[in-house]
Amino acid sequence: MSAPPNKELTVMLVDNEPARAAIVEQAMRDSGYRVIRRLENAKNLTEAVTECQPDMVIIDIESPDRDMLENMSRLTKDNPRPIVMFAEEDDSRHVEAAIRAGVSAYVVDGVQSGSVKALLQVAIARFREFQALRSELETVKSQLEDRKLIDKAKGLIMKHQQCDEPAAYKALRKLAMDRSQRMTDVARNIISVMELMGDRK
Amino acid sequence: MNMMDSQEILTSSEPVRVGFIPLIDCAPFVIAKEKGFFFNEGVDVQLSKEASWSSVRDKVAFNLLDGAHMLASMPIAASLGIGTIKAAMQTSFTVSHNGNGITVGNALYEQLLPLSESSADIRSGVALKRLIERRGAQAVPFRFAIVYPYSSHNYQLRDWFDRAGIDPDKDVQIIVIPPTQMMDYLKQGEIDGYCVGEPWNSLAVEQGIGHMLVTGYEIWGSTPEKVFGVNSVWAKKNQAVHMAMIRALDKACVWVDAPENQTELLQILSHPDYLNCTPEQLIYGFSSIKPKGQFDWPMEAYQRFSGQEVNKPLPNYALWVMAQMYRWQQLAKVSSLNAVAEQVYCQDLYDQALGHEMVKEEPWKLSSLQESQWLDAVSTGKIQLHPEGILKGFEFRDV
Repeated sequence: MSAPPNKELTVMLVDNEPARAAIVEQAMRDSGYRVIRRLENAKNLTEAVTECQPDMVIIDIESPDRDMLENMSRLTKDNPRPIVMFAEEDDSRHVEAAIRAGVSAYVVDGVQSGSVKALLQVAIARFREFQALRSELETVKSQLEDRKLIDKAKGLIMKHQQCDEPAAYKALRKLAMDRSQRMTDVARNIISVMELMGDRK
Repeated sequence: MNMMDSQEILTSSEPVRVGFIPLIDCAPFVIAKEKGFFFNEGVDVQLSKEASWSSVRDKVAFNLLDGAHMLASMPIAASLGIGTIKAAMQTSFTVSHNGNGITVGNALYEQLLPLSESSADIRSGVALKRLIERRGAQAVPFRFAIVYPYSSHNYQLRDWFDRAGIDPDKDVQIIVIPPTQMMDYLKQGEIDGYCVGEPWNSLAVEQGIGHMLVTGYEIWGSTPEKVFGVNSVWAKKNQAVHMAMIRALDKACVWVDAPENQTELLQILSHPDYLNCTPEQLIYGFSSIKPKGQFDWPMEAYQRFSGQEVNKPLPNYALWVMAQMYRWQQLAKVSSLNAVAEQVYCQDLYDQALGHEMVKEEPWKLSSLQESQWLDAVSTGKIQLHPEGILKGFEFRDV
């Protein structure tokens, strides 16, 4: 008799990134899991685990609170244990994928490994998605900042050399090429030197 | 070592990914990187700041990191598969000895005072034993924190309790808290005491949050604290790079211990990439200055980074740690103790890297009879550490 997917699997989510926690929780609910507790910080993490008795705890691998869970497996047998303990030789790929995605998990003994894997897949996918969004945002942000720096440096060159914008840009670009530096680094140097000279006046 | 060799390593190897936890004893790694000791040995090292010991363990086990600043017990636990998947790790370089202490909060300290005839009663835990007996079995047990289950902090704290007649599993509760949060928990009364490395003991005293009772040195003598632990598969493939890193760390440790470098050391360590704090917060970790109100530390109790006594891995310490793991029910029986100790605490590479004469004898090895009785003999106190610590070996007692 093949068991239906274990919809009763209960999960506790610990993540200090509220946006990501919300995405992960929603995805888990959509897949039919019960998220019984969501914690943003782990102030009373061990108490919460004892109180809620989740089948599985999902926690951000970059959380310093993670070590608090490591001690629990010894206290009573029913407490969740690190998922790496369950990674067998032929089956460690999903654990490795989780670690790479920044997901760490703790599982109680006796939970079907199929359900654990399925739930882990959901968490991994959402963590990755969030990571992609965040790095995209950061790229856009730093591009914007780069633009601002270069514009400012150009303005200073134009003023100082009394030249037009294309000429200022060309000078900046040449400087970057000659020194094999990034345009933004050259721009930053120019701004600080010009500001220093400005201060002296 | 000539330049040719260095260049060869540099051009032929991938960058080495090394994890560290932002604690003062990550100093040798940071200094080896920032002061160019790794570079001069021809190794490109990428340091990666990690948030927890568990993450360090997982990342080294699954090759996201090649090696890391590790608690001395970690490569042993990983190699035996305790609390994790079995993943062979090893060390050929001990980064530091000592630095731990036990501190209790003011509220508990006030209760200990009337139950002690001298300060020795407080420092030995005898006053705490009296207090626990007086409160009776119904009272909520006192809570003590450590930083990680497989650590010198856990084993030293448990040993200290045990010597005072306190059962660390029944009479008190031991929980794990990240070191940076220890003082907050103590201040808010969520815990009654902790065993942790510096500067968290001295800072608690300075800020009037707690009283330090005893140093780790007084419990176990000079004790290996952190090591440069690596994935054994990586070590096998990258022996030349590994040895170059040992040489770099060896130089960095000497630099860290030199008093004239202290200002620069604190400046570098406090940088946001590393400990992200003010240099002043780190002073208790390195200097002999201690806050007012704290008892005098024995000179030997300070953290030490350099010298062969500190840096050479001691397989007999691995034997000792395995017995602690067994004693506190983390580990079932292991039969091949010598083999595990030799594999995990690999002395040969240390000697080879630094051009020391290779010693053929292995006086630390247990005879097969000793090996079969070791775990039980240590657990029952028949074998104890020499009062000056693991460097002097063990004492056999008739109990």
